[in-house]
Amino acid sequence: MSRYETNVVLYRLKKDPAFRDRFRADPRGALADADLTDEERDAFARWDARKLNELGGSLHLLISIPGLGGH
Amino acid sequence: MGRIVYAAAMSHVLYPDYYGQNVGPHGRQMVEALIAVVREMGQMLAAAAPDALVVIADDHLNVFSFDAIPAFCVRVGRSVNRMVQDDAIEFDRALEGLPERYPVHEDLANAILETGMQSGFDFAASWSAPLDHAFLSPVSTLYGHRPVPPLVPFWVNCFVTPQPTARRCYAVGRHFARVIAEGPWNVAVIATGGLSHFPELSLARVGQSDPVFDRRIVKLMEAADHESLAALTAKELHESGSHELLNWLVLLGAVSPARARVRFFGEMGRVDLAALEWNVA
Repeated sequence: MSRYETNVVLYRLKKDPAFRDRFRADPRGALADADLTDEERDAFARWDARKLNELGGSLHLLISIPGLGGH
Repeated sequence: MGRIVYAAAMSHVLYPDYYGQNVGPHGRQMVEALIAVVREMGQMLAAAAPDALVVIADDHLNVFSFDAIPAFCVRVGRSVNRMVQDDAIEFDRALEGLPERYPVHEDLANAILETGMQSGFDFAASWSAPLDHAFLSPVSTLYGHRPVPPLVPFWVNCFVTPQPTARRCYAVGRHFARVIAEGPWNVAVIATGGLSHFPELSLARVGQSDPVFDRRIVKLMEAADHESLAALTAKELHESGSHELLNWLVLLGAVSPARARVRFFGEMGRVDLAALEWNVA
């Protein structure tokens, strides 16, 4: 159920500043335990917001993550 | 016997800076014109002196997470806090400076919840969910520095599929009307959000609205053609970016068969803005 996992990661990025900092410093390391497909993991690592949106990531999460939002 | 003493619906991002940055000067001017109208509407609302103010709005994954998304949620309890979050996005940051806590109209909230459960509406209840811009931007614009009456915040899942149907939202509004009629209170009801924006919830389509759809919807509300509005499909709402119309459908059920009066309608492009009142008196 990757749509769920993608959104769980997005929600953590929005709400958990420490996780967000770890992600910004080392995206793949921060997501090591997340149950994502390779395609989702790559989109997170590149911070390809449109791709994450196409893969089921919530628009409202994608536009509201501090420092990563924007569109 | 209680009654609805005031009813209105309006867009809920009432921040000129946001539209100034994201749309440009005409966006800023349009939302400033809307804010002026909403302030006038607030005078009508305050003059109606409601015992309670029901606010029907949606969550932007601020309060609820993918752990659980209620289709409908009644905020119960004695008071409700303004949402506070570090690094909030701009239109939630604009809530800073507003009161941190608002009273909840506990008896009306409980009546909506309990008689709802008895009559087949399986509402979620929250004792702790805070309010974001979807609630407090309209409420604070309507009331300004006047005291806000006890609130009954009500969430509709507008954004996480599968959403409740338009017809189900309308039925929830009919339930509100029955509860209010059977109770002792004078109640104001507002719905927030819209009009069309973020079609298909697609990041690639942020910036587009659907003015043809919005004109049609507003005309249907003016004509009190609630059957056509309740018949809107999830596909129509999703493709036009009218997800938040589900909040308005709850209000339509509450005020039916009243006709809407358009106080403001503006085609901005990124989102179309509106403020409507219903002749409930």
